[in-house]
This record gives sequence, C-alpha cells and structure tokens, in this order.
Amino acid sequence: MRKPMAAIASRAWRGVRAIYPLLLLLAAWELVARAGLVRPLFLPPVSVVLERLFVTAADGELWPPLLTSLYRSAAGLVLAAVVGVPIGFLAVRNRFVAWFVDPLVAFGSPAPKLALIPVFTLWFGIDNLSKIMLVALTTVFPFMLSAAAGARTVALNQIWAARAMGSSETTLLWRIVLRAALPSLMSGLRVAVPTALLTTFTAEMVAGGGLGGALILAQRYFESATVYAYLLVMLICGYLFDVELLRLRRRVLRWYEG
Amino acid sequence: MSGGGTASSRGMRLLSKAGPFLICLAIWQAITMLGITDPAFLPGLGSIWAAFRDLAVEKTLWIDLATSLMTAGLGLLFGILIGVPLGAAMALSPRADGFFGPIVKATYSLPKSALVPLFVLWFGVGGLTNILATVLTTLLPIVIYTYHGVHGVPRLFLWSAAAFGTPRWKLLTRIILPAALPAIFTGIRIALGFAFIVTIAAEMIVSNHGIGKLMFFFGDSGSYNYMFAAVITIVVAAYLADRAFVILTDYVLRWQEPAERHA
Repeated sequence: MRKPMAAIASRAWRGVRAIYPLLLLLAAWELVARAGLVRPLFLPPVSVVLERLFVTAADGELWPPLLTSLYRSAAGLVLAAVVGVPIGFLAVRNRFVAWFVDPLVAFGSPAPKLALIPVFTLWFGIDNLSKIMLVALTTVFPFMLSAAAGARTVALNQIWAARAMGSSETTLLWRIVLRAALPSLMSGLRVAVPTALLTTFTAEMVAGGGLGGALILAQRYFESATVYAYLLVMLICGYLFDVELLRLRRRVLRWYEG
Repeated sequence: MSGGGTASSRGMRLLSKAGPFLICLAIWQAITMLGITDPAFLPGLGSIWAAFRDLAVEKTLWIDLATSLMTAGLGLLFGILIGVPLGAAMALSPRADGFFGPIVKATYSLPKSALVPLFVLWFGVGGLTNILATVLTTLLPIVIYTYHGVHGVPRLFLWSAAAFGTPRWKLLTRIILPAALPAIFTGIRIALGFAFIVTIAAEMIVSNHGIGKLMFFFGDSGSYNYMFAAVITIVVAAYLADRAFVILTDYVLRWQEPAERHA
C-alpha cells in the first residue's frame, strides 16, 4: 500500500517541479494584483481572470468566436496543404515548375504576408473567406518547403524499383514519395499550425470576428479580465495543438527514428 | 554563387530568377487592362506606381517606413540582447533551463500580436507597445536557436581548451559563442521575419504611425492604389532586410564550410 502512494507522490512532485516556474509566476501575479500595486484595469488577479474564463465558457459566450477562429484556421490549413504539397513535390520532379516556383517561394516565404490583410479584406470581404485565404497564403510556404525537402529524401533506387515493378506515376507519388516525405511534412505542419492561429487571430483583431475580434471588443470596453481570459484561451489552444501534433507525429512515424 | 562567373552569365541567372516575377506582373497588368476585374479591386500597375511616387514625394511614406523599420529594428536588437544570453544560460545551466524552459514552452505558441491590445492598456498607443510586442516575438526563436547552438558545441572543444588552461569566461567568448554562432544567426534570421510581421500587425491593430497604419488607413478610405503601394513597399523592405542579413551572415561566418550553412 505504501509503495504505490510513494510512486504517485514522486510523480506528482516531478510534475510540480516541471512547471514550478509557471506556478511561481501565477502566484506573483495574484499577489501583485491583490496587494493593489497595479490598477485592476491593467492587471486583474489570476483568480478573477480564471473565474471570468469559466463564466464565459459556461454561459457559452466563449464558444462561437473560438469555433469561428478554429474553423478559419483549419480551412486555411487544408487549402494550403492541398495546394502546397503537390507543388512542393512537383518542384522536385519537374524543372519548369522549379524554375517558376523557387524564386517566388524565396521571395514570398519571408515576406510579411499579414500586410495583405487590407488587400484580402478588399478582395474576399470581411467574413470567413478573407481570413481563410490569408491563412492559406501564410501556411502554403511551410507546406511547399517541407514537401520539397521530403521529396528530395526519396532514394532514387526506390523509385527505379517501383517503376521496374510497373507502378504508375500516381501510385509512385502516393505510395512512395508521400510516405518518404511524411517526416518532413510533419515538421512543416508543426510550423504551419501556429502560423495559422497567429494569422487568424491577427486578421480578426484588424478586421473583426472570431476570438481576435472578441478580444479587441473586450479591450475597447475595458473588460480587462475578459482580455486576459481570451489571451489564456489562445495560449492554451496553441499549446494543446502543439502537444497533439507531437503525439500524432509519434504515432504516424512509428517506423521512423525507431 | 561558386566563383562568380562572367558578367553575362550572371545577368542571365538574374533574368532567369526574375522571370517568374515578370510573368506574374504581366498577368496582373493584362487582367487590369482587359477590364476583367473592377479596377478599384485590382488597380493597374501604372496607377500603383503613380500612387507610390505621390507618397514618396510627399515624404509621408518615408516617415512611416522609418517608424516601422525602427520598431522592427529595436525589437530585434533587444530580442538579441536578451535572447542570446538567456539561451546560452539555459544551455549551460540546468537550473536556468528548469526555470525558463517551461516558460518558453508555455509562451511559444501564443500569437504575440494578441498581446498588443493588452500592452495598449499599459503603455498607450504605438511606440513602446509595438516595440515590446516585437521584442517578445523575436526573443523566442533567438532563445531556442541559441540554446540548441550552445548545446551542440562539441565537448571535445571544451575539454581541449580547458586542458590548455583557458579561463572559464574565455571559454565562453572564444569557444562556445563562435561555435554556436551559425545557429544563433539562423535564429536571428527567423526573428527578423517575425519582427516585420509583428510590427505591421501591431500598427494595423492600433497605432498612429508606421506602414501598417498607412495601409489600414488607405484600405479604410478606399484609396486602394495607395494601399497597394504601401503594401508593396513594406514587402520589398522586408525582402531587402532579409537579403542584407544573409550577406552579413555569409561575411561573418566566412570561416565556415559552405555546405554547413543554411542547413
């Protein structure tokens, strides 16, 4: 009876030790706010922020804007993957595509594409479509680059072997190139997902709607607790997606890295 | 860029690289000239160029560009000044790693532009708010790349230097930092891109100055050719900054094997 207890206690202790700086920060935040060192408008206590978070979650105020933002990010990501991955593969296998795409990627990849928020609002309206298209534009580059990097790792003799056994070009692409590129594509996805969230939230802060728009509205009405609560939600979203992506990566790539 | 080559072959290479851009511009011009789209939605290249010249003569463009470049530059500078020592400390001391590691991990995925509305409450509109948001954004890639760079310094280097009686602080400046420099430069290049993104985002969200504000203002008032001129200006400025940084990297790291670079 004593041994499992000790094991649980030691595991809990390790868990606390892993995140103690965060707990310390939260405690310091609570103390500073409670002691009245700063005005509650600037820094409401953590407890108030967490309470606000639970209230918005319970009465449903949080969910519609959050789901809108997640939908926009996801739709943009899917679009970017559908366009970017094939172009990345083609750029490795076709010289003309490489000639056309490489300079555009070299220019477009580091370009601050959020500058196009007003342009996309003009072209695609202020609703979902402009955000989805902008997410697609910002995340298509990591997909293209990781697809191309992955396709370059395919061993030539594997392609020759598959051809010799009579595989068609499409089977070749799906069964061999895509599979060989999977580790690289997973890394690309890990860059693309936070980029998608950043793009969505920022575009919403500029042009309205979603969680970004809700954050700006709360700030305009000086509801500081809500501002912090929504920021926490954004942080948790990004963190959870990253953790899940790592888990997915481990599952999909069981055969890779042992 | 192996060896340089003759002037004409270099010109051909440049032309070949510019080709895709020229094709895209030609398509743009053709669409506007054929009247397929509303000229308000997609202004012709000539009208954007006229707007650009107008802004350039009136000087507003340069003042706003200088504001944006200063915000991005100061943000990056402080990001480097804080990020490199922090990343190195985390790599060298398990205690520092234990403390800052979870904080870096927890804040890494937060879209830093979302902090702008918060900073506005604290520090007011523009200026410090935008610089702080940029510092926080540039900090994380620099910390992470410095951490991995310092971690990756071969133990053998440290042992042999220590065996020759190198004092501890010299170990840091003469061995660890030079060996970690390529990784640090990679981190700074990523941070440079982030700096432009967050600066413009912050200016679009709330600001009185800067290219982001300019773009947003023209977009709101329907002067779309001016808006395109401002957008193109900042994209080109970011591109030039990136190229300049690559050239600087190549110069500073000229002792390194070319194959190891840009990996």
